[in-house]
Amino acid sequence: MNLLNARPMKTGISRRNVLKIGAAATALPLLGSRAFAQKATVKAAFVMIGTPDDNGWNYGHDTGRLYMLDQLGADKVETTVVTNVAEGPDSERVFRELAQQGHDIIFGTSFGFGDYMLKVAPQFPDVKFEWATGYATASNLSIYNAKFHEGRAVIGTIAGMMSKSGIGAYIGSFPVPEVFMGANAFHLAARKQNPNFVTKVVYVDSWYDPPKEADAARALLDQGVDVITQHTDGPAALQVLEEAIKQGKDVIGGFGQGADMSAFAPEAHLTAIIDNWGPYYTKAVKSVLDGTWAEGGFWGGIVDGEVVIGPYNAKIPADVVAAADAVKDGIVAGTYHPFAGPVVDTNGNVQAAEGDIIDDGEFWAAEAWYAEGMEA
Amino acid sequence: MSVDLVIAIVITLIGASTPILIAALGELVVEKSGVLNLGVEGMMLCGAVVGFAAAYTTGNPWLGVGAGALAGMLASMIFAFLTLTLSSNQVATGLALTIFGAGFSALFGQPYTGKPLELFRSVFPPDLSMHPILKVIFGYSPLVYFSLIMVVAVWFFLQRTRAGLILRAVGESDISAHSIGYPVIGVRYMAVAFGGAMAGIAGACFPLLLTPQWVERLTSGRGWIALALVVFAAWKPGRLLIGAYLFGLIATMELYAKAAGGVFRVLPSELWASLPYLATIVVLVLFSLRARGSTGAPACLGKPFVPAN
Amino acid sequence: MRLRLEKRPSPSQFMLFATPLMAVALTMVIGGFVFTLIGFDGFGAVREIFFTPLMNPLKWQDLAVKATPLVIIAVGLSIGYRANVWNIGAEGQYVLGGLSATGIVLLTQDMSGPWILPLMAVAGIAGGMAWVAVPAWLRTRYKVNEILTTLMLTYVSVNLLNYLVFGPWKSPRAFGQPQTIAFSADQSLPYIIPGTIVQLGAPIAVIIALVAWFVMSRSLFGYQVRTVGAAPYAARHGGFSANQTIWVSLLVGGGLAGLAGMLEAAGPFGRMVPQFPTGYGFTAIIVAFLGRLNPIGILIAGIVLAITFVGGEVAQTTIAFPYPAVGIFQSMMLFFLLAGDVLVRYRVRIGNRASAGDSTSEASA
Repeated sequence: MNLLNARPMKTGISRRNVLKIGAAATALPLLGSRAFAQKATVKAAFVMIGTPDDNGWNYGHDTGRLYMLDQLGADKVETTVVTNVAEGPDSERVFRELAQQGHDIIFGTSFGFGDYMLKVAPQFPDVKFEWATGYATASNLSIYNAKFHEGRAVIGTIAGMMSKSGIGAYIGSFPVPEVFMGANAFHLAARKQNPNFVTKVVYVDSWYDPPKEADAARALLDQGVDVITQHTDGPAALQVLEEAIKQGKDVIGGFGQGADMSAFAPEAHLTAIIDNWGPYYTKAVKSVLDGTWAEGGFWGGIVDGEVVIGPYNAKIPADVVAAADAVKDGIVAGTYHPFAGPVVDTNGNVQAAEGDIIDDGEFWAAEAWYAEGMEA
Repeated sequence: MSVDLVIAIVITLIGASTPILIAALGELVVEKSGVLNLGVEGMMLCGAVVGFAAAYTTGNPWLGVGAGALAGMLASMIFAFLTLTLSSNQVATGLALTIFGAGFSALFGQPYTGKPLELFRSVFPPDLSMHPILKVIFGYSPLVYFSLIMVVAVWFFLQRTRAGLILRAVGESDISAHSIGYPVIGVRYMAVAFGGAMAGIAGACFPLLLTPQWVERLTSGRGWIALALVVFAAWKPGRLLIGAYLFGLIATMELYAKAAGGVFRVLPSELWASLPYLATIVVLVLFSLRARGSTGAPACLGKPFVPAN
Repeated sequence: MRLRLEKRPSPSQFMLFATPLMAVALTMVIGGFVFTLIGFDGFGAVREIFFTPLMNPLKWQDLAVKATPLVIIAVGLSIGYRANVWNIGAEGQYVLGGLSATGIVLLTQDMSGPWILPLMAVAGIAGGMAWVAVPAWLRTRYKVNEILTTLMLTYVSVNLLNYLVFGPWKSPRAFGQPQTIAFSADQSLPYIIPGTIVQLGAPIAVIIALVAWFVMSRSLFGYQVRTVGAAPYAARHGGFSANQTIWVSLLVGGGLAGLAGMLEAAGPFGRMVPQFPTGYGFTAIIVAFLGRLNPIGILIAGIVLAITFVGGEVAQTTIAFPYPAVGIFQSMMLFFLLAGDVLVRYRVRIGNRASAGDSTSEASA
């Protein structure tokens, strides 16, 4: 028995029919020989570790999916979302299932899916795989990532200028490259504004433990911190900041992570680093439609519109907005780099000399270190 | 450490401990009646999501607490019917209840994710609740005072009332209690319902007291800590209070120590996170040594009882 | 009118086999209706969750992979449960089994040979046993309730895992990500059916179930376990040591959970990662009950649970059935099964007619 014939798709046509229609529609262009077939419609799947309504990481990917659908049209693209997939052998099954169901391109939106995508991809050479935040490619597997740390440089600038106590905090999940790069970028940018700025890095050992994230924020506020940014998947810390402001405490605020979180903390939410996967998803799915998809790696940043800085809170002074925009524009123009030297770490090692720039990829592969003035 | 910091730590740790304390108080009564309900986490999740929904829809946190209690109690009735009326295995039923609670809360809560809520704040005037020193007494949500009142109430009920005596008798020897004419199953039903209501309120504490939002798995395993706490406290409400604040202190100090930096960070955070469980096991051994083989556990804990007719 | 239970002279063999089937059938019917009522494609979900994985041969390999750890752990647990020993921390013993095997992998990084895999298996079993030895010792020496100690050690084991993979065991080639090196070919389970993902673990699970069935039903040890569980006083008279039974049944349970951890680490995972604990140790408790604490029943129950997991994913992709609802289906199945338990040991009478039934306080499940 064949899975593809056994169960009609939601649209009522099997994959085989889809291909037939596709072939007919593009029959003429196909007369010229091409390595890849164009497609009239594409089925794209998104595999997520959580649910799209987490207000953070998965929300970002789902928003990107919707943007892509909007750009390419629902008549061209059909999408499937699989939520709550554990980063282990369970995901291998899901990737295989999706490939067998006739999806043309499958996005694995978390690092831990990689081993299993690399296992499944060779079995389905006609299916394209896309591994978010990954580090290895194959002939039908590409990787994509975002330079979140560029956004951290912008908000670090705001924190450095606005903090009265000169002590900021970075609530991290785990000391993985994405997180410690972000923390360093935040701190280095803040130090450019306030040379004595201190960043306390607190890891809560979870991507997702709202009560603990909130308690970490309370502990930090109680120890002189007045601006907090978090690198976990939710607004718990921002809500603590909002409450502190309501109680009249001398607190500046915090930043949304992954998505605009101002609904949770209208006062405390200064701006947000928004993961904007939409343009990349549009490009990737369109390349499957066009038959031009190719193995590769994409690491987009602010210049690509993949990392977006949200609207500024009205309480941010104009000069701070100007400085933040200057950093943003500098990154786009290539004149500002978050990891431009001189950078000295907490152990006194020179990580980058004056005039040097630490390459993003090099930093990504490095062991964790923290710039001078950070407490981690 | 300055006075301000000590007060701040106290306030944070009491907040973090309160849901665990409330859930553990309920479970203590359940276990005293001879029933082991491992479904605390599931009932808490039911209470959290329904409590959020009620508070969000009505804007009234009191209704949120009430709805949470009701949801927890209804969930506990599934457990009660299976284990008490049909005398099913309590361990398996409790675990099934946890799976149910996780699934139910995630499904029911889908429309409520991404919606902010107002915290359930202190009802005292700002002169007291915001006072730099006096806030350590007046600065809490009513849920905190509720948990403290319930410590005394549960102690009084178990030690000083006839109903409490019957409940303990049922937990110590269901057969004798039955032969004297006490309604064993009826008493256990009421105990389980109380435990469910308390777990529901404990769940409602998460959106109302700690992090005013609903997301899947909001209680993040705190229900299991409540179960450990009952054992840690040797089934005594007073010790439960101490134990809950001790657990809260350990959890909070980890974060304060990390925030403070310097020498406080030498302990790996995995060790911090293991401490409540390791401490409970050590305490169990100590109690066992002292009481010559008794940890204070009710004799009939976890054993089904089928009455004659 | 009220429900009244009348104890059967001996457990009903018919009900023993009929009730799990009834539980699954009831779940499909009632679950289908309830989810249809609240606006989902309830019966479509039943079809996708319970039937698609069975009807589609492509899914059989997935069932085998998913059922393997569940069956191995549940068989071990069932022996303890028969003896009235409640190890609910198999998840922790599973983690320790995986960690011990990983320890061997790191020690034998630069070596090769067919001896490595058996050594990993031994280490895995030993790791699981060592982790359960603490509750066993506390229970026999100090009468400390093993339900709570085994559960608490599970949390400690997860913290130990995190400490190791974020710290000393982190691969130098992992780009800072918390994971160990990948296991080599000699450190990984061989595939036994070419072209599939079925590894050596699956036949091991079947063999374990068969051996356990033989031991439990045909050997003196099996008799001892059943006697200690059902009638501790009689067992003491018969010369069976309760403490010895506790020790043996816990060690078997912990050892098998450890073996399952090793097979999972050396099989589907292929390296140690923080995501290694996926709840198999807890799900196996459900499997043990669904299988009626009978090794052959557990084999079937393991496959049934695997079907619901695999089918749950299918239902999500084909009819967009929400993931949390799968958990509701699973808990319903267990609720119905546990409710049906009563039919095995009791006749249910409705009404107030007096009966010959005696007051009974059952210690057994």
